[in-house]
Amino acid sequence: MKFVTVAMLFGAVSTIAACDVKGIDKTYDGGTDKKHLSQLQAGVWIDPEGCDHWIIDDGIEGYLSARLDDYGKPICSGAGPKSTAVGPFKSGSPIADPL
Amino acid sequence: MIVTSRILRPAVAALAAVSLVLGAASLPAVAQSSKMEGYVPTIWIDPDGCEHWAMDDGAEGYMDIRKTRDGRPVCHRNVCGIVPTDQLFATDKSAISASGRKYLENFFRTAQARAFIISGHTDSRASDEYNMGLSKRRANAVASVAQTTGANVLAVNWYGERQPRATNSTSAGMAQNRRVEIICVK
Repeated sequence: MKFVTVAMLFGAVSTIAACDVKGIDKTYDGGTDKKHLSQLQAGVWIDPEGCDHWIIDDGIEGYLSARLDDYGKPICSGAGPKSTAVGPFKSGSPIADPL
Repeated sequence: MIVTSRILRPAVAALAAVSLVLGAASLPAVAQSSKMEGYVPTIWIDPDGCEHWAMDDGAEGYMDIRKTRDGRPVCHRNVCGIVPTDQLFATDKSAISASGRKYLENFFRTAQARAFIISGHTDSRASDEYNMGLSKRRANAVASVAQTTGANVLAVNWYGERQPRATNSTSAGMAQNRRVEIICVK
């Protein structure tokens, strides 16, 4: 598993080098786990204040963004203990976490 | 709200250290590079229905919540409850009628949600300060009904006349603005 991940990473890095031109399409994940970014699968990370953030572990990319109510206030829902992550946030990519 | 690749982070840190040493006497990197690079985002919609800007730059992913210039997130939420306050309260009052209480109890018992955020609003008649107070009392009244049903209330907020849903120049618009909103958190 680990070896495969490293091999994939190597591939990914050479892809980056190949794509090192101005204005590549940043709305797609062009890696082996190709997809439009609207398809990302999120879980909830609970920050040390107890408030929620959307967390996405998408292979070699990670995303984190605030969970807010309609007026911009943080949603602190008690989805889990502080400094933990819950939900299917690793399910959007077949690339395993090397670390 | 930026997350870089875990793998490349040590390499990036090392690069940064090198450029610190080399570039100590020169201009900051931002001023040096006059090159502009396109960063066109796409939109990712979170499970609540709110929009986030998202970009994938090869091995880095970037994301931040989309807000309008006045600081409001852009959400396509199925607001699970907007209760016109005319149903619950007499003008300028914050005591809930018997029928209003029944309606709310039924709402909180049957809503498919883990928790609720309650916010009070008024129309624009009377002063801003008065309306802030009125919307606070009404939001708290709805929250206390929620709590008697065992519902989990995460927050009670009030905005007075500052967050209208409709125009305040017609009576129909004002009636829409007199409301208590209930956000269902799953």
